Amino acid sequence: MTTIAPPMPRPGPAEWVLATDHKRTAARIAVAAFAFFIASGVLALLMRSELAQPGLQIVSTDTYNQLFTMHGSGMIYLVITPLALALGLYFVPLQVGAADVVAPRLTAFGFWLYLGGGLTMYSGFLTSTGAGKAGWTAFYPLSGEQASPGPGMDMWIVGVALAVAGMMIVAATILLTLIRQRAPGMDITRLAPFSWSMFFTCAMTVTSFPVLIVAMGLLFADRNLGPIFDTPGGPATYQNLFWFYGHPVVYIMFFPFLGVVADVVATFSRRRLFGYPFLVISLLAFTGLSMSVWAHHMFATGQVNNEYYSLTSTALAIPAGVEYFDVIATMIGGAVLLRTPMLFALGFLSLFLIGGLTGIVVGSPPLDYHVHDTYFVVAHFHYTLFGGSMMGAFAAAYYWFPKVTGVMLREWIGKLQFALLFIGVNLTFFPMFLLGYDGMPRRVADYAPEAGFTGNNRLATIGAYVIALGIAAFIANLVVSLRRREPAGDDPWEGQTLEWATSSPPPRLNFSGLPPIRSYAPLLDLREAREDEG
Amino acid sequence: MPPASETNSQEFEGLFTLYMVIGGAIAVLVLTAIAYAVIRYRHREGRRRSEPRGMKPLEAIWVACVAGLVIVLLVATFRTEERVDAVTDDPAQNIEVLAFQWGWRFTYPGTGITTVGSGARPPTLVVPAGETVRFDLTSRDVIHSFWIPELRFKRDAFPNRTTTFDLVFDPGVSTTARCAEFCGLDHDQMDFQVVSMSPSDFERWLRSHERGQGAP
Repeated sequence: MTTIAPPMPRPGPAEWVLATDHKRTAARIAVAAFAFFIASGVLALLMRSELAQPGLQIVSTDTYNQLFTMHGSGMIYLVITPLALALGLYFVPLQVGAADVVAPRLTAFGFWLYLGGGLTMYSGFLTSTGAGKAGWTAFYPLSGEQASPGPGMDMWIVGVALAVAGMMIVAATILLTLIRQRAPGMDITRLAPFSWSMFFTCAMTVTSFPVLIVAMGLLFADRNLGPIFDTPGGPATYQNLFWFYGHPVVYIMFFPFLGVVADVVATFSRRRLFGYPFLVISLLAFTGLSMSVWAHHMFATGQVNNEYYSLTSTALAIPAGVEYFDVIATMIGGAVLLRTPMLFALGFLSLFLIGGLTGIVVGSPPLDYHVHDTYFVVAHFHYTLFGGSMMGAFAAAYYWFPKVTGVMLREWIGKLQFALLFIGVNLTFFPMFLLGYDGMPRRVADYAPEAGFTGNNRLATIGAYVIALGIAAFIANLVVSLRRREPAGDDPWEGQTLEWATSSPPPRLNFSGLPPIRSYAPLLDLREAREDEG
Repeated sequence: MPPASETNSQEFEGLFTLYMVIGGAIAVLVLTAIAYAVIRYRHREGRRRSEPRGMKPLEAIWVACVAGLVIVLLVATFRTEERVDAVTDDPAQNIEVLAFQWGWRFTYPGTGITTVGSGARPPTLVVPAGETVRFDLTSRDVIHSFWIPELRFKRDAFPNRTTTFDLVFDPGVSTTARCAEFCGLDHDQMDFQVVSMSPSDFERWLRSHERGQGAP
């Protein structure tokens, strides 16, 4: 089909600030999240440089404590969650054939809350006592007034609450768009895999994020008005509130990228996704379990029912197994094209696998008694968040950049970036499993020369710089591709879902007309009908 | 009292090996399947896509296998945890542990023995090997975590709250242990030493330090 609607005008400065179109808001969130990604990544490089050898060379212990706090909280509150929701905000309306999200102005307001929150958190570096330094979890009483005095900690608490509130609003509008704004024929049973993943992501967001906002409010009140958590059960109560947000958010940072990978694998296998209903049911089961696994972060406290949370956490392997099977079975019998988005999707599958399997290890209390709060756990969640989520984010970037900008990213730079990241991730994070097992705790600026940690730390530091080269390659790709433009056309990948049925970039109201929708893959239906005729 | 059958590190090794073998097998299987799919079904001009048969029964078998492995792992975990978390009525020795920013105090009740240390002068925890040692753990300020890497065990120390647990040490332990829960500025300096000795040597050590003050 041809698109006759006028293309979107190139945004002027005022439009970048004021426009409420879902695509503009999503682009704003993605750009801000990428800027925060670079900032948090620089903090990580500083940490890895400090840990390259025993002794303090680059920063003081106090600064180091701010670095890991801002790295972790930056990546989770300000980078991966917002990137995931930005993808949803841009592509869910396109995939369901909607002209915009519900409540676009409220959604735009969500972006400003998020940006203000992020800047507030980072502004702590400008205060005399420094930024937040109680870890991304801010456990009480360490985050209390006595142990962490100073405005930096208060700014961190307020910033986190604002950023999380902003993202909660964005998730709510995506969820309502999925429920209310679907085009005629787009039954809920015909959502694209990515849209389904966003459906469950947003459901988890609107149920878990309010609890973190409450926890931050109580923590702020405890510091500034009078003791709240200062009781024998108070510190554990804070942890329960925190992890009620803190574990679902792990899947909020995983599902959207699994959805992207499912779309990408089907597209580049030139096949319909295998086991579509099973995939959806497994996501539903995963979502249900995700709300009852939070206290597996608290096995070592001795204050939760370890067996129950071990049961629910280990059971997650079953829906995860279904998801892996469906994605791999889609390739079997297909015609697999190893273009850049597909490479990153395969990177996601293989690296997340390592993170997921070691997640089962830390889900066993007697094993967690040893590896909890060590580099083993750091390795585990970086395999899921960098090996998984960020690889998925780059798969999405290469897959959808042509739709958003109208131009292709360079394939060869993308392949170079993939190689650098794949090597860098393994070189950085695999030695951390050994470090943790051998007794290196997380969140330390220094370690003893005789502890035997030096070799693996050096490998991890080299790996971190390889990752940095990979990110530099991505930025170079953005610059080159936007300067010397290779037009993408409406559908450069032979896509299957509705976002490929409009122009690149899509017009203000997204579509001038829609193809008939009879399955989750309307464009594949059209292509197959044409093949049958021809 | 009955002799404790296994030390904490032995309990850990058995369970950890089971998880590693099963996890490693799954990792190899899935990575092989991905490699097979990408190589065998790579895109070639003129080749039509095929619909392999039998994938749905295969998926059912796969899900049943994963569920079976989940049950195996959970049963092994629950059995080990029951032994590791068990608290006996009759420990061979009681030790009270106080964690604080940024050091440790170990008290042997009824003997007058107290050991304190922090930073560059870490205290030493002396324990009998092969017997059940009871710990009563608390904190003076923020949350800490009592972690003995060589024993493969840690437990958090909370303020205003005492956590009780039993440990069985291997013979001949002489190792560095540390705080595992981030607790502020000098968290990375919050170490202690652990020394285990035979029950008879431990008795002699207790008697020679009774009513004595300070470190051994």
